Amino acid sequence: MHANTGKILRINLDDNSISVFSPDEELYKKYIGGSGLAAKLFYDMADFNCPALDPQAMLIFMNGPLAGVKFSGTSRMSAAGRSPLTNIFAESSCGGHFPPQLRYAGFDGIIITGKAAKPSLIHITRGKAEIVDAGWLWGTPISTANEKIKTKFGTQSKSLVIGPAGEHLVSFACILSNAHHAFGRCGFGAIMGSKNLKAIVIDHQNFNQSYYDSAKLHTLTNEITPRIKEHIFTQVLNDFGSAGNLEGHMYTGDVPIKNWSENFNEEMAENLTGSTISERYLTRKASCAHCVVACKRIIRIEDSPFAISEGPGPEYETVAALGCMLNSSDLAAVCKAGRVCNDLGMDSISAGATIAWAMEAFEKGHLTLHETDGIALEWGDLCTVIEKVLPAIAARKGNLGMLLSHGSKKAAEHIGNNSISYTAQSKGLEAPMHDPRGGGHGHALAYAVSPRGACHVSTAMHFMETGACNYPEIGFEFDLEALTDEKKPETMVLAASIGSIENSACFCQYADRPLSFNEMLELVNLSSGYGHTLDSFIEAGLRIFHLKRLINHRYGTVRADDALTERMLEPAREGDGAGILINFESMLNKFYSLMNFDDQKGIAKEETLRKLDLL
Amino acid sequence: MSKYYKNTEELYQIYGYFLEKVLGDPKIGPKIAKSGIIIKFIYTDPDAEITIDLKNKPDKEGVYGSFYLGKCDIEPDVWSKQPADHSHRFWHGLENPIAGVTKGIIKQGGKVTAMLKLLPVIKSTFQQFPIILKEIGREDLIVTK
Repeated sequence: MHANTGKILRINLDDNSISVFSPDEELYKKYIGGSGLAAKLFYDMADFNCPALDPQAMLIFMNGPLAGVKFSGTSRMSAAGRSPLTNIFAESSCGGHFPPQLRYAGFDGIIITGKAAKPSLIHITRGKAEIVDAGWLWGTPISTANEKIKTKFGTQSKSLVIGPAGEHLVSFACILSNAHHAFGRCGFGAIMGSKNLKAIVIDHQNFNQSYYDSAKLHTLTNEITPRIKEHIFTQVLNDFGSAGNLEGHMYTGDVPIKNWSENFNEEMAENLTGSTISERYLTRKASCAHCVVACKRIIRIEDSPFAISEGPGPEYETVAALGCMLNSSDLAAVCKAGRVCNDLGMDSISAGATIAWAMEAFEKGHLTLHETDGIALEWGDLCTVIEKVLPAIAARKGNLGMLLSHGSKKAAEHIGNNSISYTAQSKGLEAPMHDPRGGGHGHALAYAVSPRGACHVSTAMHFMETGACNYPEIGFEFDLEALTDEKKPETMVLAASIGSIENSACFCQYADRPLSFNEMLELVNLSSGYGHTLDSFIEAGLRIFHLKRLINHRYGTVRADDALTERMLEPAREGDGAGILINFESMLNKFYSLMNFDDQKGIAKEETLRKLDLL
Repeated sequence: MSKYYKNTEELYQIYGYFLEKVLGDPKIGPKIAKSGIIIKFIYTDPDAEITIDLKNKPDKEGVYGSFYLGKCDIEPDVWSKQPADHSHRFWHGLENPIAGVTKGIIKQGGKVTAMLKLLPVIKSTFQQFPIILKEIGREDLIVTK
């Protein structure tokens, strides 16, 4: 076996048993790694009757084959399991420095079941792991926990840590790696919390990987790297971070404002865009392992009511979710809110979207002061959000904290009044900060059919629709017109496969933009020796997409769940998409037909599943 | 062979008139000038160069930037090279600049991130381009979807 180690740690926290498990080598090729391999192992090994936060629930961390390769955007990994937010199978991707260290330590992944008797952490060194007491970390914010871990295990150690929100089982609690890189979505922090698992720590390891063809891999990465450095995406990301084009997105109507009720605000665009963050608060840039893009921001804010010490700055999604969605143009406040969210350990997208929904509900009188514990939820009031709302959610304290800790869908179902109509979510997962009504109608289809719920990275539609992909080698070389349904279902078929490949090979969707599809294939083959052809690679991507849909069907999802809310489909009032209706049902019907989906069940028909070796 | 432009002079005539209008527009002009950059557009088929100076004080009253048709010595902060026909369609709002860069139709250099602030603003000029073509009697060059 090359690149992969063929070894996965299995840890049962009930009895502290630790073993090493080696999946069939053929599975690596068929499911690539990362979220694909995790989905396959979950499908084969998980107890489907097990609630998301049950001690026996399975939590998987899985590297892609490229983790550890000295190349931009490939040292990522996936978390997978049943989401406490959506109650279906979910995944979340994270970069940083943990994935290559896990690989260098000799493991491709970790499968965790059981619940520790007391707060614990998993400590991994080369070839082995141990479960140790973490009482000294429990209750600490993520940044504090990260510092304590570095003091105890060394400054070069890498960690995955949950915050108070994870400990209190907030449905959208996240996991942060080294207090910066996030497994943000779907509530994996709560799963760790439910297992009394505060952290996973890995000692620094030296590089020690073997590849299928090291010489050719080295030549290829050397050839591509200058192109990545020069690419306009890289330059924007490096100069201004992932919020670099917020202003541009705003002018198309792609940025949801005030809980998806508005689409344009010139002052907000200028104040919150990435160049403003860089000009005002950037102290330095940071990157994931081996990456030349360096899109991460390190910021400091002084002389402000929202002052923060030097540390991680917000990503685009955080800026839009805690700024635009809450109708605030106050950049310092948004950065502070992002920092608080990180420290408490909550997904900023779900947190922002859920609070935005609550603000609208409060405005409409669907939430009263009784239900908010006397807190007035006013648009743009980030002071209240920072000081009262976020801490209440993380602690699941009071009526408001408890209500919002379940996410917007469950909160809306709880208060009724058809307030579900103005949530922005699919399958219970709050939509990311790209509004299909302005950003592109294909996004709407992608949000609806994405296995984990409203998501713009589980498929490649977002980048294909915006013009950032050109893959003539697999037939994608045409331009898509954003605000129509033309060619969107056809593109979605390819997008489903490409997205599954990206999340399984664990490519960063920023750093891989300058790559051709052939180069992505070559990188995987030269490192792992899988020997995929273009056709088998695309087929593997489709297999993974279908498998995730199959898992979720076992959890009860059907076609009716491939839906968006009224708010997401009502015509936008501003931006390029103002007044235009999304032809959603027509796109969905065509996609179902192209994927050979059963019209009711929402999964592929038997012949397709057999062809893909899923039956 | 260009579909829209017979020669370089014709391109300069059209873009010269267009830029006069846009850089003199009291609504759009100041927003464009806010970018504060010098940008050079290089066209192929027909070959042409246009430099727009949004950094230095304009050379005329009542405008918010200066432009130069043909080769000039001003050092640009950023340059963009593309076929003239692609640019013609772009100014009609019919070309996606991200797709143009992705496919290598548009080449860029220099401080390309400086153009970020310009792109959203110039969208509002897309409606004006066909109007100015009409004003100078070149309705034949108006492109529709």
